[in-house]
Amino acid sequence: MSEIISQSGLRQLVADRIAAGTIVSGPTQVKPKLVLYAVLGSPDDLLLEGFVRPDNSIKECVFPKQEELYGYRIQGNNIELTDGLTNDDLTNDDAPVPKQLVVAARPCDAAALPILDHIFNWDFKDEFYNRRRAATTVVTLACDSHGENCFCTSVGLHPAAERGSDAMLFELGDGSYEVRCITDKGRALFDGKTEESDKVGRADAGPEKKFDPETVRAFVDQHFEDPFWSQHALTCVGCGVCAFTCPTCHCFDIVDAGPSAGNARYRTWDSCQFPMFTAHASGHNPRAGQPSRQRQRILHKFSIYPNKFGEILCTGCGNCTRNCPEGIGVLTVATEIDHG
Amino acid sequence: MSDDSTRDGTMTENKGFEPKIVAYVCNWCTYLGADLAGTTRLEYPPNVRIIRLPCTGRIDFNLIVKGFEIGADAVLVSGCHPGDCHYTAGNYHARRRWILFRELLDTLGFDLRRIHFTWISAAEGKKWQQVITEMTEQTRQLGPYTDLYANGSAQDSANDLPSGPPTPFEFKTLPAEGALRESCRKLLADGTVKVVIGYGQRGPAILTRAEDAGRLVWNNRCVSNLTTYLKRKEIKALGKPAVVVKPCDEKSLVVLEKESQLDRKNIHVIGMACEGVGEPKCTFCTARTPRFADETLGEAAGPASLADPPPNRFAALMAMAPAERMAFWAKQFDRCVKCYACRQVCPMCYCERCIADKNRPIAIDPAPSAKGNFAWQIARAFHLAARCVGCGECSRACPAGIDLALLNIALHKAAQVNFGYDAGVDPAAEPVVGSYALQDKEDFIG
Ligand code: SF4
Ligand code: SF4
Ligand code: SF4
Ligand code: SF4
Repeated sequence: MSEIISQSGLRQLVADRIAAGTIVSGPTQVKPKLVLYAVLGSPDDLLLEGFVRPDNSIKECVFPKQEELYGYRIQGNNIELTDGLTNDDLTNDDAPVPKQLVVAARPCDAAALPILDHIFNWDFKDEFYNRRRAATTVVTLACDSHGENCFCTSVGLHPAAERGSDAMLFELGDGSYEVRCITDKGRALFDGKTEESDKVGRADAGPEKKFDPETVRAFVDQHFEDPFWSQHALTCVGCGVCAFTCPTCHCFDIVDAGPSAGNARYRTWDSCQFPMFTAHASGHNPRAGQPSRQRQRILHKFSIYPNKFGEILCTGCGNCTRNCPEGIGVLTVATEIDHG
Repeated sequence: MSDDSTRDGTMTENKGFEPKIVAYVCNWCTYLGADLAGTTRLEYPPNVRIIRLPCTGRIDFNLIVKGFEIGADAVLVSGCHPGDCHYTAGNYHARRRWILFRELLDTLGFDLRRIHFTWISAAEGKKWQQVITEMTEQTRQLGPYTDLYANGSAQDSANDLPSGPPTPFEFKTLPAEGALRESCRKLLADGTVKVVIGYGQRGPAILTRAEDAGRLVWNNRCVSNLTTYLKRKEIKALGKPAVVVKPCDEKSLVVLEKESQLDRKNIHVIGMACEGVGEPKCTFCTARTPRFADETLGEAAGPASLADPPPNRFAALMAMAPAERMAFWAKQFDRCVKCYACRQVCPMCYCERCIADKNRPIAIDPAPSAKGNFAWQIARAFHLAARCVGCGECSRACPAGIDLALLNIALHKAAQVNFGYDAGVDPAAEPVVGSYALQDKEDFIG
C-alpha cells in the first residue's frame, strides 16, 4: 500500500501553509531559462516539472545570504540589543522563530542539510542556523530526469535518496505523487492529506558514475604543490558563483553596520575563491592566486571535511559546474583528476 | 533591519512634512556663496545640510545616493560656474559625468525631480537663497521620498519585461575550427606566442603547448569574451599571448588599449568572423567581421534582417513610471547574492582592488540588501559608463539572472546621444570619461 496526493492537493497544502504564516519556498520560474528556489507568494508559483534542478540551493532557508545576528539601538545612555532572527529582546529564548517549509527540493539539496548540521554544530553551536533548521520542514521531489552536470551517483547519492528529507514525493505520471513520510515533521505535514493507493512512484535512474571520489581524495592529499592546479585554474576568474550556488558551501563573513545601515551585526556569504577571503591585515595573502583557491575548494570537499566528519562535502548537484561562467566546478576538476 | 529608519524623523507633528535636503558643494564657490548668504543675513529655509567638498569634480556619485539613503528627500550638487573652477576644469569633468549619471539614475527609477544641479559663485549669496527656497518648496510638494528602493509588490511577476520566444539552440561546429587549431599550433610551435587563450570543450582553454592545439574548438557555444583573461596576473606571467576574439569581443581590446591596459604589439589577436552565437546581443550585431585582428579566420555574411525582431526590453523598461522602474530593479536585485561574478568576468573591470572590496572603511555596503545591491550596481554600471562594449558577459555570468545589460545599455545610449561616442568602435575617438568639451550640455543645471 502507498499514500498518494494529487498535484492540486499538494498546491492546496502549500496554500494552507502560506495562509497559516509559514514561509514556503520551492522551485520557481524566475524568467525564461532560469529556475530558482524562492519564497512562494502563491501555490501557482511552484514549478514541479520540466527542469533538472534550480540554479541555486535550499541552504538559503537555513543559512540566508544575509543574516542579522543582532541589532542595537542607542537610547540615551542605554544600548538595547535585539535578536537578529526574532527581532525580540536578546534574552528571550522563547521568541517564536518563523516556520518554514521547502517543497519540491531536490535530493541533492536535502542531503546537504545533514552535512551543514555538522559544520554549524561542531565546536560551536550556531543557534541561528539551528533555530532555522528546527523550524524547517523539507519535502523532497525525487528527480524525473538528470542533466549533463549532475553527478550524485559519484558521491553516493541518487535521484530517490531520502537523506535530509522529512518526506519524499515520487511522480506517478498521472499528475499525482506518491508520498513517503520519513520523519515526524513529514508525517505531521501530510497527516490526513493523502489517500491510500497501490500505485508506486518512480524516479530517474540517475547519471552514470563520472569519477571516483577516493581517487580525487588520494590525489589532493598527495598533490598539494602540483602544476595541475595552476594549469587547471588558469581559466577560473574567481567569481565565487560555484560557492554561492552550492548547497554545501557554508563560509561567511561578518560585517558591522552603523546607524545608516540599521545598527546591526550581520553575516553574509563568503567564498574561498575571493582574494579577500584569506587576505591578512598585514597585506600578506597565503593563497595568492586562483590555483591555490581552486585547490582549497576541492581539498575541503574531498579531504578536509571527510577526514573530520566521514563524508564528502558535496552532494553531486552539479551547480558549481552548471553555473560557472567558465565551465569549471567540481565535475570538471574531479573528472580531470580521475581521467586525466 | 530597516533600511530607511532615519526617514521616520521627517514628519513632525506640528508642522507637517519638513523636507531634508543634502547639498554637496565645492569649497571655493558655492560654499562661499552660502557663507555670503549667511553673513549678509539673507533668510532661507533651514532644511538644508551642507557638505563641503574640494571640487564638484571630486564628488563621488555614490554620495548622492547615500544622501537619499540616510534620509534626504532631495539632493543638491553645486559648484563654480564653468570657467571659474579653482582647479581649472574640475567642474567641466563633473558636468560630463552628471550627464551620464542622471541617465543611470533615471534608468534605475530614481525620482530626478529630487536631484538638483546648479552653479553658484562666491558672490551669489542671493542665488543660494533662491535655490534653497525653491528647492525646499518643491520638495515639500513632492512629499517624503518613500519610493526609494521600494519593490512594490515583490511577488508580482507582471513587471518583468517581455523577452520574446526562446530561440531554439542547435549545436554547430563552425568551419573555421580546423584553421584555428592549425594557426594556434604554428604560433606556439614557432614561438610567436607563449600562450593561446581560446575556447575548449567545456569553456575557455588556455594552452601553452603546440601539441594541445587540437583541444581548441570553434562553435556556436563560444560565447564568452576571452579578452578578460588578458588582465589576469597568472596569464600575464606566461608571456606573449594570442587571444581568440569575435568581432564584438574585439571592441574591448580597443578600449583597453586606449586606457593603457595592454600593449597591442605584444598580443597576437586571432579574429573569428562570426554569424552569431545565439545570444540576444547577436540579433542586433552589425560587426560580423573583425577589424583590428592580426589574422582573421572564417567568413561571415552580413547581419541577417530580422523578420520578427525581439522585443526592445530597454524601451519597455523606460516606458514605465520611475517608481515602477525602481520596483522592477528592487525585485531583480533582490536575487543578487553579491558574488561579484558580474565584475570578475568583465574585461573592463581591471582594478587591482575594486571599490566594493575596500573595507577600511567600507565604501560599498557589502550586504546583499536593497541598499547594498543598488550601491553595487550603481558603482559597477557607472564605472563602466562609456567604456562597456556590450559583450553581455556580466548578464551571462550572473547566477541570479539579473538583467545587468540594461544598465549598460542606458549608459551606452547616453554616451552615443550626448557625445557621439561608441565604446570600442573607433580607436581614434577620445574617451568620454576623463575628457570634456566646453559645449557639453547644461540644460539640466540651474
Ligand atoms: S570555478 Fe568558476 S564559478 Fe568558481 S570562482 Fe572560478 S570561475 Fe567562478
Ligand atoms: S560542490 Fe558543486 S556539485 Fe558538490 S554540492 Fe556543491 S555545487 Fe553541488
Ligand atoms: S559591463 Fe558587461 S557588457 Fe559591458 S564590457 Fe563589462 S561584461 Fe561586457
Ligand atoms: S553577478 Fe549577479 S548575483 Fe553576482 S553580484 Fe553581480 S548582480 Fe549580484
